[in-house]
Amino acid sequence: MEPIVQMKDITKRFPGVVALNKINFDVCPGEVHVLLGENGAGKSTLMKVLSGAYKPDEGSIVLNGKEYDKLTPHLSSEGGISIIYQELSVVNWLDIRENLFMGRLPMKKVGPASVVDYATMNAKTKELLKKVNLSHCTPTTNVGDLSISEKQMVEIAKSIAFNARVIVMDEPTSSLTEDEVQKLFTIIRQLKAEGRGVVFISHKLSEISEIGDRITILKDGGYVGTYNVSDLTTDDMIRKMVGREIKGTYQHLPEEHYQFGDVMFSCKNLTRKDHLVENISFDLRKGEILGFSGLVGAGRSETMCAVYGAAPKISGDIFLNGKKLKIKNPYDALRNGIGMVTENRRETGFFQNFSNQRNIAIARQLKESKLDGLIGLTNESEEKKMADEEHEAIRIKWTSREQLTSQLSGGNQQKVILGKWMAANVKVLIFDEPTKGIDVGTKSEIYKLMRKLADNGIGVIVVSSEMPELLGLCDRIIIMANGRITGSYDIAEATEEKLAKAATSEMA
Amino acid sequence: MKTKTIEKKKFTFSDYWDRYSTITILAIMIVVFGALRPSSFLTTGNLVKIMEQSSITILLGLGEFFAILLGGIDLSVSSIMALSGAMTAKLMINAGFDPWLAILVGIVFFGLFVGLVNGVLVTATGLPPFIITLGTQAILRSLVYIVTDARAVSGLPASFSTSIGGKLFGVVPVPIIVALVAAAVLTFFTVKCQSGRNLYALGGNTQSAWYAGITVKKHTIIAFAISGLCAALAGMVNIARLAAAEPNAGTGYETYAIEAVIIGGASFFGGIGKIPKVIIGGLIIGVINNGLNMVGVSSYYQQLAMGCLLIIAVTLDRFFGASRKS
Repeated sequence: MEPIVQMKDITKRFPGVVALNKINFDVCPGEVHVLLGENGAGKSTLMKVLSGAYKPDEGSIVLNGKEYDKLTPHLSSEGGISIIYQELSVVNWLDIRENLFMGRLPMKKVGPASVVDYATMNAKTKELLKKVNLSHCTPTTNVGDLSISEKQMVEIAKSIAFNARVIVMDEPTSSLTEDEVQKLFTIIRQLKAEGRGVVFISHKLSEISEIGDRITILKDGGYVGTYNVSDLTTDDMIRKMVGREIKGTYQHLPEEHYQFGDVMFSCKNLTRKDHLVENISFDLRKGEILGFSGLVGAGRSETMCAVYGAAPKISGDIFLNGKKLKIKNPYDALRNGIGMVTENRRETGFFQNFSNQRNIAIARQLKESKLDGLIGLTNESEEKKMADEEHEAIRIKWTSREQLTSQLSGGNQQKVILGKWMAANVKVLIFDEPTKGIDVGTKSEIYKLMRKLADNGIGVIVVSSEMPELLGLCDRIIIMANGRITGSYDIAEATEEKLAKAATSEMA
Repeated sequence: MKTKTIEKKKFTFSDYWDRYSTITILAIMIVVFGALRPSSFLTTGNLVKIMEQSSITILLGLGEFFAILLGGIDLSVSSIMALSGAMTAKLMINAGFDPWLAILVGIVFFGLFVGLVNGVLVTATGLPPFIITLGTQAILRSLVYIVTDARAVSGLPASFSTSIGGKLFGVVPVPIIVALVAAAVLTFFTVKCQSGRNLYALGGNTQSAWYAGITVKKHTIIAFAISGLCAALAGMVNIARLAAAEPNAGTGYETYAIEAVIIGGASFFGGIGKIPKVIIGGLIIGVINNGLNMVGVSSYYQQLAMGCLLIIAVTLDRFFGASRKS
């Protein structure tokens, strides 16, 4: 059968990285084509190329038999491509019919004026709602009142209203209950029967086996292959998804690091108020680097935020050197010697209006001030000393102490943040995606610094989505899925397959 | 070793403007008015008068500075000024309070505390300070009318109006001293105190501040409390100068306060600004009003001049202020 979409040898480069390297992908009418790969494998980039948002550097795209040199978002949607993102794009304060016909309201003539034809709109909306099993809703129901699953159905209805020939669903089941997943599958089967193609992106392997016809696997921006889903077991999928050669820039562990001291930091039965993570317990031994692995949204950062006091928890005790800590907010964490290098430097890491010196000094100054950081004096000469010490110790590249941190490169900004926590003499330092957006050279410097911190008796916890990073750096790795811990491996026994398996397990 | 090489950078107009923009504007205006009316504008008497007239704008601006530093705004300063003035006058005249005790109560209870309430409302509701203080501006103004029955409270003790409204050693008007002392204390606060530093951090990036361990709510409340306190100081100066409390005192003055802060180079988005520049900002407003009077320009045109100056000053900052370039 003639495919609706045919993408051949698609290559997309970003400064410093090849995001997609000769990827082949096609969608036939009436099939569910699964796209599988780890975080950062290139699935989203490929779909952005398909939607016309990114222009590929090489490769060809054939849509409905016509080759496009310059596929724009407009041409893509005219060609029948419709993408439903994980973050749904419905407008909550509008009703269903307005969401469905946004920008293309049916019009009718009344005398010389052209007005919205609500009768046609209502009739069409009713028909579409019936198709996606939302008959209990009326065209004037507010979308904000619907559940996530129902909103998803509205998005699918919108795709149908647009006459979509290929509907891409980006992790559509990630926030659905088992029941809702089955409802979604019913609709997907119906879409297939109508001759539409569905691209299904998911990390849940059992779902893939249930609904998928063919599967294309990506790995680090490269093309692994396209297979019939029925020919692969879930173990095959994992192997193909992660089975890369381990090579690279991180530190391999010297043998002596397998000897650790006593437990210095532990967390018992931590549950967040919003239940994004439940019942998390872990121990950190002296000299050890503890890694947290899992898929995006598994609850790793959410756990760390709760430990650090940045998000409210309803239960859970945190112990440092046998002493129970009371942490209500990040200030308490800081006072107790816990620091966190957050994932988004610009939004949560440093102050754009502060010089390097001030960004480095602030944590120690706050730690030493009294009454929730309200009482205390700043000391210019001490600040300068702190900045110079960290500048020397971490080898930050800056033009002066007074330069704004926002003018540094990402890697050096990260070093300033690291310097801030080192100046504050923290006892435990949590790193959330510490090398995100950082060049290879600085990456390995940061790994070395982290190892040095651990050697000096500081507890180091790392959350990372890059498995090779965790495998190269950590002494033990805890894996999370759906807000719970689903596995824990010493580095000697940890492999990418095991991590991936625990990360995609649905035992939680 | 290698850091030394970059130090000899060329000093550009941008660097100059970044550091001396406000004082340059003030100097240019004094020169222009001085040239136009050398005999009347450039006299010691007139310059002292300008400073005295500016002291209320400066005091309000000093408080407003903290609200703007957080990326917010405080529209209620004018009403706090009126309320604290009216209540202090009432306490002196109707309740027979000693003037100094009345001042203390007026400042602490009808200034600091009211500002604190602003801060608590902002942090508790999570609404923009614009909305909260727009509300309290109206509420407090209404309270002033209610307690004064919309009539001026006059007959303040002479000891009060001559001490606060008078001149030290017969030369320096006390309102200027009040404004300068307040500015000195607040400069120390912003430069040397940890909580002052934290306010800059908070204004730069609330999220980062929270993750860095700064107690966001407490600091926000403090900023609004300082704003209320400064507004009450302005209220005291105002009733002392007039020897009476007018119920509509300070109506619309919040705009002057905001203008003084913005012309003084503070960023409206928060995190950037210096206290001493607020004084200059306030003086610029005083010079414009006084100078245009001297030159004989109708008061109808004074607002026009203020508006133009505000837009020009901020535009120049936008394009030449070195600290905003990144």
